[in-house]
Amino acid sequence: MQRIVVPGEKLTSTPVRIENTISDKNGTYTCIMGYFDEDRKSLIPLEGLWQPRSGDNVIGVIEEDKGTMYLINLKAPYKGLALAKFVDAELSAGDVVSATVKQLEKGGTVMLLKPTRLNGGKIMAVSPSRTPRIIGKGNSMLKQITEGTGTTIVIGLNGIIWLRGGKIDLATTAILKIVEEAHTTGLTERIKVLLSGNKV
Amino acid sequence: MQIRTVTGDYIRDLLASGAREDGRDMLDYRRITIKKGAVPNAEGSADVNFGNTRVLVGVKLGVGEPMPDKPNEGNLITSAELLPLASESFEAGPPSPEAIELGRVIDRGIRSSGMIDTKALFIEEGKVWDLFIDVYILNYDGNLFDAGTLAASTALSTARMPKLEGEEVIREGNLGKLKVNNIVTSCTFAKIAENIVLDPDGNEEAFMDARVTMANDEKVIRAMQKGLSGSFAPKELENLLDITFDKSKELRKHIESAKE
Amino acid sequence: MGGGEKPQLIINGKRLDGRASDELRPLKIEVGAVKNAVGSAYIEWGNNKILAAVYGPKEALPKHVQDPEKAIIKCRYQMSPFSSLEDHGRTGPNRRSTEISKVTKEVFQNVMLLEQFPGAEMDLYIDVLQADGGTRAAGITAAAVAFAASGIPMTDIPFAVSVGKVGDELILDMNKIEDNYSDADMPVAISPRTGDILLLQMDGNMTKEEVRRGLEMIKKAGETISKVQREALRAPYEKTLDKYKK
Repeated sequence: MQRIVVPGEKLTSTPVRIENTISDKNGTYTCIMGYFDEDRKSLIPLEGLWQPRSGDNVIGVIEEDKGTMYLINLKAPYKGLALAKFVDAELSAGDVVSATVKQLEKGGTVMLLKPTRLNGGKIMAVSPSRTPRIIGKGNSMLKQITEGTGTTIVIGLNGIIWLRGGKIDLATTAILKIVEEAHTTGLTERIKVLLSGNKV
Repeated sequence: MQIRTVTGDYIRDLLASGAREDGRDMLDYRRITIKKGAVPNAEGSADVNFGNTRVLVGVKLGVGEPMPDKPNEGNLITSAELLPLASESFEAGPPSPEAIELGRVIDRGIRSSGMIDTKALFIEEGKVWDLFIDVYILNYDGNLFDAGTLAASTALSTARMPKLEGEEVIREGNLGKLKVNNIVTSCTFAKIAENIVLDPDGNEEAFMDARVTMANDEKVIRAMQKGLSGSFAPKELENLLDITFDKSKELRKHIESAKE
Repeated sequence: MGGGEKPQLIINGKRLDGRASDELRPLKIEVGAVKNAVGSAYIEWGNNKILAAVYGPKEALPKHVQDPEKAIIKCRYQMSPFSSLEDHGRTGPNRRSTEISKVTKEVFQNVMLLEQFPGAEMDLYIDVLQADGGTRAAGITAAAVAFAASGIPMTDIPFAVSVGKVGDELILDMNKIEDNYSDADMPVAISPRTGDILLLQMDGNMTKEEVRRGLEMIKKAGETISKVQREALRAPYEKTLDKYKK
């Protein structure tokens, strides 16, 4: 049985270790809106923020060139930082870059590796809780959109998506549909129909 | 700091190819919705959406004193507030120059159109009606001028007129309507590189070089305001005046058909 | 409390708007009313119309307000100058709105998991578009939904409501006219999961027994308020789920 749960709602009557929950002697409670699977005791976030892990691919915007390092806006509670000596091309404020998380430091700074400029195109910001669904199992959803639109798409786990070329409007529509319907089943099929030009 | 979802090049390239991000034509408004009487405690009100831009105008009347140079006229007081609730780029604190400009431009259209006869707001010597128009921005996605003017015109044209019984202002019950002589609307254009668009959204406003607002009634232009460091050629402005007269018919229809 | 001639607030056991003493005004909450915000809610509670919006978490600025251990919350409660049936109000913060902003912030400092975001700030804006008594409670109730919708982790969704006193009678959820002429007003915010009191204010006169009974009324009303809050949060999801149900 799966159900939608909201912060403070009891998931189990015994303390269980699940991410984004708190426990007391009476049970375990969710701290976020999520989809809770009673049998598997899993909580899938419906709304949630990005929690940086090393190796995460992110997209950000250069906020400041500090000479020895770049400050990168990740639209997150964390400030991105990349050392300039590891960057090949000169970057300037306003540039959109993709990068990899090295680690989250104390005080809320995310150290980034290999920031690479993404030229042209546009970005869109979505709830980071939706990025796994947009990517899909083994990249399947993303591949479907890319092939259906001819748009180049890079997804940052921090919820920022970069798009360039092809039928960019259609790609945007498809992504927004996934954002809205991430918790439903049969989504892959509906996106397929959308991309093939039939009204869903 | 807010992240822009597009770069200037993206917007400029798109316009050069004859397209806009949301698929509109250069001289199209976004979807406009008006809810009049949205805040019944106010004497008049209207909640207006231009796409994702949302503006609420509340109209209040109260007893005040005339200005020394206009002893026989009531006061028209228009102000705009860019609520921090409406955008990450709006900050709490005293009104920004942008908020003051917005309030003043909306005020000028209403004032010069004679929409409100300030002489009719005279009560007795030393006592007049103050007419407050508060433009409240609830979500920002560009073109606050036109949404604000449309909301203000709708709120005024549906407002009730309080009455004075002794010292007490009666605001409820059997009241007449505030007398409105005219309807003013405005059209705002953004110039981005060589292209000119009507009703710029937030992304377009972020990269516009110049902006011009033209407020008019059915007959004449009533107020204009050019903004930012870019410029318009006289020929361009003449063309935009024609478009304004044309488009304002559409806007007036929205006011007429607005629902509670 | 209010001046002027005092109207009779309870006639034959009914209040002026026809409610029983322990009856809430109609309550409606909608999620996502402010498109630009990370989380938002619109509440209509009686004749109150209020928007609450959350931005962040993001780097706290200016730097000297940063807490290296946890996030800070900034809160700004404000009434629109056209919110009341009376004269045009003043704009900008005053002593009343500053106090409400402070106690509201403290409610959310209790339930938000601030330690997860050291050095960050979360901004809460509560704008009262129309007021009819009990705006701080309605604002907190809406803000709790806005926070939950934002995805920022929190231990519970608090609710708030006030109890007033007219003569010897306790009345729940006072409107403006009741508030003006009542003998006491006690707004309270509670975390329903624990029953803990997160906001408590009172003015007027109440006995210990009345405070105890008042808190019980509030707890009971909380069941209804919490239900409306939770349903508002689930509604957008259930709508899409329903859409594709065979």
